[in-house]
Amino acid sequence: MESPQNIKKRLKSVSNINKITKAMEMVAATKMRKSQEIALASRPYAFAALDFLATISSLDSAKLPELFTKREIKKVLFVLVSSDKGLAGAFNSSVFRKFERHQKIEKEEWKNEEQVYLAVGEKAFNYLTKKNYNVVKKFVSVGDYTTTQQVGPIVDFIVEGYMNESWDRVVVISTHFRSALKQEPHVRRILPIDFDHIADTVKEIIPERGKFADLIKEHNINFVPNKASTTDYLIEPSPQEVLNKLAKHLFFIQVYHLILEANASEHSARRMAMKTASDNANELGNALNLQYNKSRQSKITTEISEISAGAEALS
Amino acid sequence: MKLSIYSLKNILFQGEASSFNCQTIMGEITVLDHHEALISVLSAGVIKLIDKDKKEQFFPINSGFLEVKPDNEVRCIVEQ
Repeated sequence: MESPQNIKKRLKSVSNINKITKAMEMVAATKMRKSQEIALASRPYAFAALDFLATISSLDSAKLPELFTKREIKKVLFVLVSSDKGLAGAFNSSVFRKFERHQKIEKEEWKNEEQVYLAVGEKAFNYLTKKNYNVVKKFVSVGDYTTTQQVGPIVDFIVEGYMNESWDRVVVISTHFRSALKQEPHVRRILPIDFDHIADTVKEIIPERGKFADLIKEHNINFVPNKASTTDYLIEPSPQEVLNKLAKHLFFIQVYHLILEANASEHSARRMAMKTASDNANELGNALNLQYNKSRQSKITTEISEISAGAEALS
Repeated sequence: MKLSIYSLKNILFQGEASSFNCQTIMGEITVLDHHEALISVLSAGVIKLIDKDKKEQFFPINSGFLEVKPDNEVRCIVEQ
């Protein structure tokens, strides 16, 4: 049997691990809640913006801006959204797995299209470079809760590339936050812009279960533009210009939401991973404790029998 | 008029207001009750509004959009 000192040492390190993982679990849980709140706070804004778009695009004089129009697809940009740091369970690998599966399924259809990649998060960059994919750029530290300042450069980069035809379609693979216990990787086309796609992203920001789930009923916006009521709008400076500005803005909102959702998922995946880790540490600690007590007891028993044997020999 | 101002982080204002002043890219405008239906793009500046208690409120903004609906409702989305 192992010596009690050795077991004691192991016991101590296990309990230290337990403390650390427990602390990380708490931190991740708070961060998850906060990133969910941030995502939800931007919803009225997003709905108003969609409503705007519906109003303006129903005007006859407005032509849909370039971000909306479909063109022949020669090059596709894939955006992989992952975390910067590990210790988040299957969060990153599930995104990559989804990506691989998606590649395999659509291989036939896409064999004439060139593919380029954009990495959001350190892990995605590592993955893509390891697989020898053509990574055009990486963006890191969109971390805990993303801000508009952090999303701005990503959006500008994608839009600029789209405008000068570096790519004709943009697909994002990111994690959809279904509830605190369930996250799913999703593949979404974000460019060319599609009304319904944006509406879906904005609606999906509400988790299916949990604290914020009941918000789902309150908003039921209809995105079918109403022709009759919009004819007498005065539009400054011109419908075209407003629409162009709005299109880019909506695209920004969509990317912002996708990344926020990925943030929330990351934190909740990390929370789950840390919970499992501390449960395991607990279990291991109990087993070691039992072992320690047993070895201590057996040592005492041997000592007692030695003493009593010595006493018997004397008498 | 009914006024709501949304930003990405929170709802800045929601409720009754009597006057709403802002910078658009065409120049400074003030929206009063029963304004004509209008859609415009806001530029950087300060939004000044007078709420129903005759108190002035100010919000600095970077950019945004303004929509005045025919039924005396004003909605605006701004970026700070």
